[in-house]
Amino acid sequence: MAASRQITRRLLWRALSVRNQRVWVVFFALMVSTAIVNALVSVYFDIDIKMSRELRTFGANFYLGPAHGHTLPEADFDRLVSAAPPGLVAAGSPYLYGTARSELENVALAGVRFSALPALVPYWQVEGAWIGVDFDDRNAMIGRTLASRLNLAVGDTLSLVKDGQKKALRIKGIVDAGDASDSLLFISLELAQDWLEKPGLMSHALFSMMNSAGNVEQFAAALRTGHADWAVRPIRKVSANEGNVLVKIQGLMGLVSIVILLLSTLCVNTSLTAIVSERQREFALQKALGAANRTIVRQVLLETLAISLAATVVGCLAGFVLAQVLGQTVFSASIGLRAWVLPITVALSLSAALGAAVLPLRRIMYIQPARVLKGE
Amino acid sequence: MPEESRVTATSAIEARHLSKHFGNVAALDDVSFSVAKGEFVALMGSSGSGKTTLMNLLTCLDTPTAGELWLDGVNAAGFDEEARRQFRARHIGLVFQQFHLIPYLNALENVMLAQHYHSVTDEASARRALEEVGLAHRVDHLPSELSGGEQQRVCIARALINEPPLLFADEPTGNLDAENEARVLEILQGLHSEGRTIVMVTHNPALGAYAQRVVRLQHGRIMQ
Repeated sequence: MAASRQITRRLLWRALSVRNQRVWVVFFALMVSTAIVNALVSVYFDIDIKMSRELRTFGANFYLGPAHGHTLPEADFDRLVSAAPPGLVAAGSPYLYGTARSELENVALAGVRFSALPALVPYWQVEGAWIGVDFDDRNAMIGRTLASRLNLAVGDTLSLVKDGQKKALRIKGIVDAGDASDSLLFISLELAQDWLEKPGLMSHALFSMMNSAGNVEQFAAALRTGHADWAVRPIRKVSANEGNVLVKIQGLMGLVSIVILLLSTLCVNTSLTAIVSERQREFALQKALGAANRTIVRQVLLETLAISLAATVVGCLAGFVLAQVLGQTVFSASIGLRAWVLPITVALSLSAALGAAVLPLRRIMYIQPARVLKGE
Repeated sequence: MPEESRVTATSAIEARHLSKHFGNVAALDDVSFSVAKGEFVALMGSSGSGKTTLMNLLTCLDTPTAGELWLDGVNAAGFDEEARRQFRARHIGLVFQQFHLIPYLNALENVMLAQHYHSVTDEASARRALEEVGLAHRVDHLPSELSGGEQQRVCIARALINEPPLLFADEPTGNLDAENEARVLEILQGLHSEGRTIVMVTHNPALGAYAQRVVRLQHGRIMQ
């Protein structure tokens, strides 16, 4: 039995080693396709997170406001955050709008949580500095248009006045947002609630959420059924685009993977057909000596599997490197190594190899030893 | 006495009204002959006489269109592919004109390959078989490192390794020089003297003279 296994191993090893040119063609075809498929599958599963991060630089993508009236309790902000699945909410801030008198003229102000602004409005161009603390009631940020009108620069002081009260605010940053924010004065939410005499209230809240696989839309739908007093909606210009782009990119990657697998299948099929053709006499002799079709088919399958496994192992390693190159080039970030990507890649590559072997193996079964050995 | 037993007792090979047709062409037409156990028979005929077709039937590489073919006491005419394969592995030794050795296996491994498809491999007996044909010093050589005569002797060792009752040689010296031809014929005669049944296909009358009896074919029929 051991000697039989030995001759099987010798047949396998010698058959591979003497045809190294064709074996290398099969190896490289499978290795390259495995590497590309592995890289694309890795990026495929990582791209929703990467794309979500990229697109969230366009700002908030979720809105919470009152269904009726003009304000909501600030506590609703925290209720929404608690109701969200873990990891969904990346950043958020309540907004309270109102008008206040300053020493110079009336100004429109917005109370916000300063710490959330860099994540919520990352596209703001700020002269000076962001305010990092939510309860900072000595500093303010001001929109470019308003600052020009009031002739204010970073470091200047603007005083709000009301019923004999006066609140001096130092301008820490001037905001260039390119939208209505350019005409607003941004102060801390607590100060706005106090000054506008709307304690514990907000006009609305904006959130930046991780939008993978359309889960922002699902979350909004879930909130709508349980909270009649809330108006909730994804901000479609970001979320919808995000979803569409993702679907298209993932579809494109799936298509490219299929085309590459088909091409490698064709290449392997051509090489295996050539190998079988070259070894016709060998197989005919084996049959003449009493080898069953299944024995020869098993032998060639073993050879194909040996090449495929070696190509798959090297291809997976190369694919991981390729995924990192793609990640750094496109997203400037590394692509995570996911355990389930490997079995998917291995299954796809081995299926391609075995699919390519079907016709050559059928050809072996129809070899007629009498004809081939006579050289017909 | 039952028919099968009668055949087994008297003949190694018995063909009865054997025919092989390829479409409308009769390659073999109503051929009947027998080979006794231990007999050395030469199968002769010109090109297109049906030698190869008859050889393919006798070695179970093909099936007849009609007739009976008793080989070593068994009617092989009705064998399916699997039965023919098993019969070849157990009862038939084949020596080819073109040797047909696996190019990437050495002499020893080529001989062991026949054992592998028969039952189990036994390296010691494969070495002995090569010794018997004078190749003890060439066991580790690849076919490309052997002369034509040496390759044919490996082929004979492979044909004999499973001790088949029937040995078929198809133009065994067709690719050999005079010296190697004589050596191969010497081996075949030695095997015959040990009592082995041998059928040799040849078109060479000088070679046919080495056999005990010559069966001549012409246009798919036995001439004598």
